Amino acid sequence: MTEPQIHGSHRQLPHEAGGEPLISVRGVRVGFRERQVLDGVDLDIYKGETMVILGASGCGKTTLLRRLEGLEKPDEGSIRIAGVDIVTASREKMEEVRRLLGVSFQSAALFGSMTVGENIALPLLEHTELAESTIRLMTKMKLQQVGLEGAEDLYPTELSGGMRKRASLARALAMDPKILLFDEPSAGLDPIIATGIDQLIIGLKQTYAITIIVVTHELQSAFLIADRICVLDQGRVLAVGTVEHILNHAHPRIQQFVNRVPDEVEHRSSSYITGFE
Amino acid sequence: MRIFEAAGHYTIRQLEYVGGLAIQFWRGARLSLRVNPFSGRRLRWKRTVAQMAEIGVRALPVLCLISGATGMIMALQSGAELRRFGAMDAVINLVGTSMTRELGPLIAAIVVIGRSGSAISAEVATMVVTEEVDALRTMAIDPIDFVVVPKYLAMLVMMPALTVMGIFSGILAGGLFTYFTLEMTLGMYLGRTAEILLMRDIVSGLVKAVVFGSIIVHVGCLEGFRVTGGPEGVGRSTTNAVVKSIFLVVIADLLCTTFFYFFWR
Repeated sequence: MTEPQIHGSHRQLPHEAGGEPLISVRGVRVGFRERQVLDGVDLDIYKGETMVILGASGCGKTTLLRRLEGLEKPDEGSIRIAGVDIVTASREKMEEVRRLLGVSFQSAALFGSMTVGENIALPLLEHTELAESTIRLMTKMKLQQVGLEGAEDLYPTELSGGMRKRASLARALAMDPKILLFDEPSAGLDPIIATGIDQLIIGLKQTYAITIIVVTHELQSAFLIADRICVLDQGRVLAVGTVEHILNHAHPRIQQFVNRVPDEVEHRSSSYITGFE
Repeated sequence: MRIFEAAGHYTIRQLEYVGGLAIQFWRGARLSLRVNPFSGRRLRWKRTVAQMAEIGVRALPVLCLISGATGMIMALQSGAELRRFGAMDAVINLVGTSMTRELGPLIAAIVVIGRSGSAISAEVATMVVTEEVDALRTMAIDPIDFVVVPKYLAMLVMMPALTVMGIFSGILAGGLFTYFTLEMTLGMYLGRTAEILLMRDIVSGLVKAVVFGSIIVHVGCLEGFRVTGGPEGVGRSTTNAVVKSIFLVVIADLLCTTFFYFFWR
């Protein structure tokens, strides 16, 4: 593995400055049938920091992200965003919190019946009284920010996977959110395109005082963009800390994950695998 | 005991479904009132007009063909019987009233279920599967407001319009029949039909059209929103939307007809 490039090690990280966390998750539990997917998650995220939630598939990281986005409610626990508990918030309060959020989905989730430009203009048309010409200009700017100049008249199906991710990021940025949530930015992308998306996230973090939450299982990407990393395993937080802290953490599961050691699998006969007796 | 348990579960599931339908209907109706071309919500109006073209205008040719054929069938079938009693001119009454009260709205509903009910549920279900509905919610846009309302408004306008066109083509086809058998001119035929039809017939036909349209939109959308299990779920929800819409439309037709029979003679 190449030496991870650690960003921002020279500057003071937001969590070191102290103060109120922007997002505060306390004792969140979620169960599906008998399985406990999130089993008492506590996490503080400070204003301006980039928090990467890292974990293997099925560890509950997307489940946690959906709770942070307010799409579903946890069975127990509280999630405070900018001082509002979104678990108990009224519909109006929830709408206010949502205007602080920009979400980029794993599948990009662009509206297939609209062009890229219309996708990005949608939140502006819905929530502001801006003139059409202003909105068109803002759409152009957002597309430029993510490196997709001139793509406004294309339909999502005409874009490649990486371009779709970029377009969905542009839409997430349309309302100038305070918090950007990113579900698996590099899922399904080749390493070169994925690194491009990582660079884009780093660029955003350096340009704006935006708080970024990224859910991923990609180690390299996590080490590249994170201020702090939260390692999630079987619905619990194993560790939260800077990249060095996680790399040197003694917990066997974390070491296993960081060093890419597979789980022990009980021996199976070849007939089981091939299906022949 | 198993049977009772299963029956209980089934009943609860169906009641829950009707409840979900009622809630969506109520919210859709309330949010519809906020859409007009002069308010700031520009996009909603544009989407409504696009839906009108899709639901209404593009359904017109096939609807006219089917309604016309049905009108002709009605005329032929009743003519065959009435000829024996020498009451051929009663064909005019039969075609006129049954098209207006019953067959016009019903055929329009069936055509619209086939074309738009299935398309609506497939579209909404795909939006759920591809996280587009989640994306709307994170953008603080109500999916009912954004997805259901334009379709609902379009349906409220287009269903009565389609019904009128369907009734007209059915009656015209009847006129073709009387032209050849009774040697009656089209003008005379239409004049007779106009004499026979009561306001009651026309109103009941249009009320049915509005009721059927509401059912088609809301069942289609609800089936779409409730899709489970990825792409193959989309197909399942489309089938469900069509079957449930047809069932509910026929039940609603029965209720409407009963109502008009007893309360508006």
